[in-house]
Amino acid sequence: MEPLLLAWSCFRRRRFERCSELCAELLQSAPAAQESDSGFTISQAAWSLKTRALTEMVYVDEIDVDQEGIAETILDENAIAQVARPGTSLRLPGTSQGGGPSPAVRPVTQTGRPITGFVRPSTQGGRPGTMEQAIKTPRTAHTARPITSASGRYVRLGTASMLTNPDGPFINLSRLNLAKYAQKPKLAKALFEYIFHHENDVKNALDLAALATEHAQYKDWWWKVQIGKCYYRLGLYREAEKQFKSALKQQDMIDTILYLAKVYLRLDQPLTALNLFKQGLDRFPGEVTLLCGIARIHEEMNNISSAAEYYKDVLKQDNTHVEAIACIGSNHFYSDQPEIALRFYRRLLQMGIYNCQLFNNLGLCCFYAQQYDMTLTSFERALSLAENEEEAADVWYNLGHVAVGIGDLNLAYQCFKLTLASNNDHAEAYNNLAVLEMRKGHTEQARALLQTASSLAPHMYEPHFNFATLSDKVGDLQRSYVAAQKSKEAFPDHVDTQLLIKQLEQHFAML
Amino acid sequence: MPEARSALREVLPKRGQLSVEDVATLVLCKPKLLPLKSVTLEKLEKMQRAAQETVRRQEMAQREEPQQ
Repeated sequence: MEPLLLAWSCFRRRRFERCSELCAELLQSAPAAQESDSGFTISQAAWSLKTRALTEMVYVDEIDVDQEGIAETILDENAIAQVARPGTSLRLPGTSQGGGPSPAVRPVTQTGRPITGFVRPSTQGGRPGTMEQAIKTPRTAHTARPITSASGRYVRLGTASMLTNPDGPFINLSRLNLAKYAQKPKLAKALFEYIFHHENDVKNALDLAALATEHAQYKDWWWKVQIGKCYYRLGLYREAEKQFKSALKQQDMIDTILYLAKVYLRLDQPLTALNLFKQGLDRFPGEVTLLCGIARIHEEMNNISSAAEYYKDVLKQDNTHVEAIACIGSNHFYSDQPEIALRFYRRLLQMGIYNCQLFNNLGLCCFYAQQYDMTLTSFERALSLAENEEEAADVWYNLGHVAVGIGDLNLAYQCFKLTLASNNDHAEAYNNLAVLEMRKGHTEQARALLQTASSLAPHMYEPHFNFATLSDKVGDLQRSYVAAQKSKEAFPDHVDTQLLIKQLEQHFAML
Repeated sequence: MPEARSALREVLPKRGQLSVEDVATLVLCKPKLLPLKSVTLEKLEKMQRAAQETVRRQEMAQREEPQQ
């Protein structure tokens, strides 16, 4: 068989390793420079195919990838207003206009937003409010936040890809004559993607893109989008915005709209992004990614009810949209309708999703919807599917709740202990364990556990409140007051906290 | 049956004091639905694991070489 055709076929079948090997053989054996009809030599074709294969191996959708480092979030000078008005910023978690569930029902993330039904790379960390929080949060195993996005995943993957090739990288970028490649648009596009995705060398990628767009006389929208992507990675958001806008003028593309919205979100202008999405929807009616973008923004701004509306719109267009189903499902669960949530999660199971998270959610929904026959089997399945210790810890934690629900406090105690054995940073488990210890009358243990919990997760109100109550009981009013204040900070509307503070203030006034 | 029902009439005191002691109970953290992972995130994690595995294997190989 013609080796190039074989390589091409491997590429089409997504067997990239084999394809890259075949191309390497071709490149070594055939320096014959016979030009085919298209004006390309065989070796050029093989070279281009290999770059594409290598790119595909590590390709991730750039729209989804977003990781803010500590430096970017704290030393951010791009935000227009340092103190934004309510409802115009993603930084202020407490600015919901109703519809947001209270933390008494729905657990919150470190930034004080209710947990969502779906994680993407950009939602993983959340934005910490203060420097202290930002530095503290990476200590827990879940959210290792890099110092800057330039030192994050991109680089780690880049160096790893180099390590896999013992004879050095496939293309030596420093010896590449970029201007020469920029003249050949067909090669240049593949080369650009290789540099951008495989090598993660944004600066060289930008150089190539700049030369190529010049060669195309600024008429190729594709190159403008790529330049925008490079600027975004380099943190030059306003420049990126210009490139994307200019590309949109030439060619109306959904991708470009999504990139532009990403820029606005990074600049902390959710309302501009919403407008952009809505304009996009006028031109591309019913486009799922745009609707989903709107829903995500509403969700991040803590406006859960309108987020749910948009997720429903998404499902009208695409009834297998995993993110929409998962988010609506979790909304129902936390608004006290586990039966309906169960239907959504069952739908996901029917669609072929088969992982630890889904079975854990099914188990919880079954339990709270009183379908006890399925509960334990779901949790068993979830445990067997857990990929790492943290996932197993979360499943044990939820099983602990089932045990509390059926009144088997011994089992609950063991479950929470197992949670901590799998994940030593599980603040919720520390708190619940403390409550169980209190029931047994072990005040000192409970106090220690609560202190651990509140230092691990200062954003949760439960450990603070419990600590306040406990200290109040043993007569340590000063500590109780301090803890109650922290609890109030985390959850201002909590009635019991307010009562406790009032009581304590009366005590202090009497002294 | 009517006699039986009258025999089991409920008692609702209309007079006198009704006292309920409100004890502040400790709060449990809530059960946590686990968020599903997006395809991109799964792929990133898979790639990261694979990369770590390669690095580990290469380091092992390097460590074995000087011994020979």
